[in-house]
Amino acid sequence: MEPRVAIVGVGHAGFAPITAGLSYKELMFQAAERAYDDAGVDVRADVDSFVCCSEDFLEGTSIFDEYVPDQLGAVHRPVQTVAGDGLFGIVTGTMLIRSGVANVVVVEAHSKVSDVLTLGSIEHFALDPVWNRPLVPSVLAVAGLDMNAFLERTGLTEEHCALVAAKNRCNALDNPRAAYPADLSGDDVDDSAPLWWPLRELEVAGRADGCVVVVLAAEDRVRDLTEAPVWLLGAGWSSGSPTLESRTWGEADFVRRAAQRAYAMAGIRDPAEEIDLAEVDDTYAYKELQHVEALGLAEPADLGDLVQEGDLEPEGELPVNVSGGALAQGNLFEANGLARVLECVEQLRGEAGERQVEDVQVAVAQSWPGVPSTSAAVVVLGRDEGPS
Amino acid sequence: MGAGMTRFMRRAQETGKELAWEASRAALESCELTLDAVDAVCLTSAPDAFDGVHMKGEYLSDGAGAFGRPFIRTYVGGGSGVFTAIQGWYTVASGMADVVLVVAEEKMSSTQPHPQAAFLTIFDNVLERPLGPNLLWIFALEMNRYMSAYGLDKRDIAAVAVKNKRNAADHPAALLGRSDITVEDVLASETLAWPVQRLDVSPVSDGAVALVLASEEAAERITDRPVWIQGVGWNLDTAYWTNRDLVFPEYVRNAARAAYAMAGVTEPRKQIHIAEPYDPFDYKELHHLEGLMLFDPGTAPEAARDGVLNRDGDLPSCPSGGLLGVGNPIAAAGLMKVAELFWQLRGEAGARQVPGSPERGVAQAWGDLMQVGTVVVLGNEGGPPTTATRLPDSPTPPASTPGHPLTEAEFRGATGAVEDAVDARYAWDAGVAISRFLGGLREGRILGRECRGCERVLVPPRMFCERCFRGTDAWVEVEPTGVVQTFSICHVSWDMKPLETPEIPAVIAIDGSSGGFLHVLGEVDPQEVRVGMAVEAVWKPVAERTGSILDIAYFRPVRGGAP
Repeated sequence: MEPRVAIVGVGHAGFAPITAGLSYKELMFQAAERAYDDAGVDVRADVDSFVCCSEDFLEGTSIFDEYVPDQLGAVHRPVQTVAGDGLFGIVTGTMLIRSGVANVVVVEAHSKVSDVLTLGSIEHFALDPVWNRPLVPSVLAVAGLDMNAFLERTGLTEEHCALVAAKNRCNALDNPRAAYPADLSGDDVDDSAPLWWPLRELEVAGRADGCVVVVLAAEDRVRDLTEAPVWLLGAGWSSGSPTLESRTWGEADFVRRAAQRAYAMAGIRDPAEEIDLAEVDDTYAYKELQHVEALGLAEPADLGDLVQEGDLEPEGELPVNVSGGALAQGNLFEANGLARVLECVEQLRGEAGERQVEDVQVAVAQSWPGVPSTSAAVVVLGRDEGPS
Repeated sequence: MGAGMTRFMRRAQETGKELAWEASRAALESCELTLDAVDAVCLTSAPDAFDGVHMKGEYLSDGAGAFGRPFIRTYVGGGSGVFTAIQGWYTVASGMADVVLVVAEEKMSSTQPHPQAAFLTIFDNVLERPLGPNLLWIFALEMNRYMSAYGLDKRDIAAVAVKNKRNAADHPAALLGRSDITVEDVLASETLAWPVQRLDVSPVSDGAVALVLASEEAAERITDRPVWIQGVGWNLDTAYWTNRDLVFPEYVRNAARAAYAMAGVTEPRKQIHIAEPYDPFDYKELHHLEGLMLFDPGTAPEAARDGVLNRDGDLPSCPSGGLLGVGNPIAAAGLMKVAELFWQLRGEAGARQVPGSPERGVAQAWGDLMQVGTVVVLGNEGGPPTTATRLPDSPTPPASTPGHPLTEAEFRGATGAVEDAVDARYAWDAGVAISRFLGGLREGRILGRECRGCERVLVPPRMFCERCFRGTDAWVEVEPTGVVQTFSICHVSWDMKPLETPEIPAVIAIDGSSGGFLHVLGEVDPQEVRVGMAVEAVWKPVAERTGSILDIAYFRPVRGGAP
């Protein structure tokens, strides 16, 4: 039987529009030191394997995995890079532990996007070089197309999406690490400039630098390391169609499949009932609603009322992105998924300060690597270790 | 369960997605499965810069059969191809999937004007890129270090290139098989970056390879002749490659130890019957055979000379033909080695078959800044006794290996040659440590950081010690002098154009420090340079210094110093 897996330490650094004067290595070192301290591990003695998550073009280095070991204490250790979001790193670390090849695994992801001078051009290079680049001027256009299809299908409105953006920016007023907290109303968002209609300026997450490091351990090691483990109850991941011409517009089918796998592993039958808190991707405001639906937390027909009646707010029935999400913490690119996990861990431990939600027993974190990708990872985290 | 590959080609007509699909289809057909049987897909591909696609894993995913499936792209530079087999192993061993499709794709030919463009940005963004290094430099520097340390004869190293290109003549997917090549041909080929000559190097290529892995339970349903993954290991060394001795690949040994321990291999030389070590350059195969503990350090070259590594030798090495013979589409080339062991251990390697019914083999890949080792041990035993005999196994690789090679003229004339250039510009924070180091250079001083934990002086400096994993303690100034740890004489630019004046890159071990850095030598006849030569920094005039590694114009021999 595969061992259970728990998160025994988290650390972060940055979460700011720029981190001037610090190199990416120094940013990673800060987050790693804090995570190891939190976990009470001696990294050179206790950690068996390391998983880093990065994309070359955002780093400006081909084969970026070259440059990760030193600042993580990972020299002469098993280290691998996952090209994608940090939540895929959590999935990978979980597999390493369950396979028996490691007992303690470190997962790292960061953003040093302030170093990138031509982000738009690089993001454009994620589109199919032959079919799409000549036609589609910006990846934001893909988000606009998807948002419109989502609104058409569900009957939700631009106002609902604007309320989500306002909620998340306001939530972050209680989050000391957030890069973009703001006291905004839905009208403020609705009045902002349309970029790729129906997508508006204040519905797009601003970019930020930051690093998150997470320490995972097999159940045999967990009790030695911490009195407050956060158990990884379920993990799922899935791809959709990266090809623009054959994807399901307006629907995150890949999130739905990832969630189904994660819930099956966690023994969750009724997610809306059993999950107390959700941290979901909100790189664009409409994405939060699309992902809440795909995670099975609400029916599309009910989503509008949930938004308008405040049920997704911290005091509501289903708190979503209490951290402020990417809209308020900043778009941390590959680190977005780990930022979701960080918030869930703090909430489950009761360490979320002003924004602590009462009695959180089970939380779900979900990520998406951004336009034009169609892949997602979902993890279910809990205070109790759950089914074996 | 199964394996498949495309031809390895200088330039494929297929897109990356199409290459991934062809290899995946061949692998599934080889074990008579369809995509429906696949629970998860593991993919690898080397730098995004080759394909010119950001988030290349996402782009390739549907070509690799990942639509609607769990899919992750892992990546460890040149070590990726073997690593993705490891990824497949833990995806199954973790209980998260029963049948996994493992795909490695590489399309290097898209990069213009030369695939080496993708390698220009593998070097340190602040300290190395301003020197204009090209990929050949680091191989030449490592090769020279290896040869100097053991007093090796270039002829013995060239024997590896001969063996592999001859072996590849029997491989239906090979790009550079040559049954008539001799050591003299290798030694007479153009010198690119001394001691590296053209025939010491594997070719840039396009291609893809795929494997099907299954759990014990699923394997029983699928085949009566499974080949088992007995052991896996991977390991990464420091990125400060100029702070290491390049003579021995410690990271390969670390990875091999882990894989052997898992496989129950205690005497590798006796218990391993075939090796597929990574051979992008001929000396690398020898270096890696030593790292894999199949030969003592410095002794693999004589084994190459004496025929021990031949297909009918005592330890057949690269019976596939390796990267030197089959080709080097980076990530795909690594997985090709695992596929070769699969075919060899099943006795399905045809004209390439190693005699004597080999039962265990090791595949290894290597990459990054001479820094990563990935190792897989395969064997005929390892699972439960099998009783089922449901499906016949078709011989592989298939008679017609997929892939459409294009000449340069065909490519330029073809409909569908689409040009584009990414505008990728960056302004990196040099950081706390390197900013001060660069400030020191502007003042004509070389600064290091002292770590009192391991009593080292770190040059280039860092605010943390990677060995002790603690903050470093104090700034120290060291002398602007050092010794040449290794050097090369480079005759070509990164896009393989001849240089009028050869460049002399060198790793300088800085006096009073535990490290050193990459720079170039000047005021010296290339033929006079020796490993161990004492050198000093020649500074640019104060007014021209900008706080850059180029504030040192070059290093030159110390007058009256060691020759």
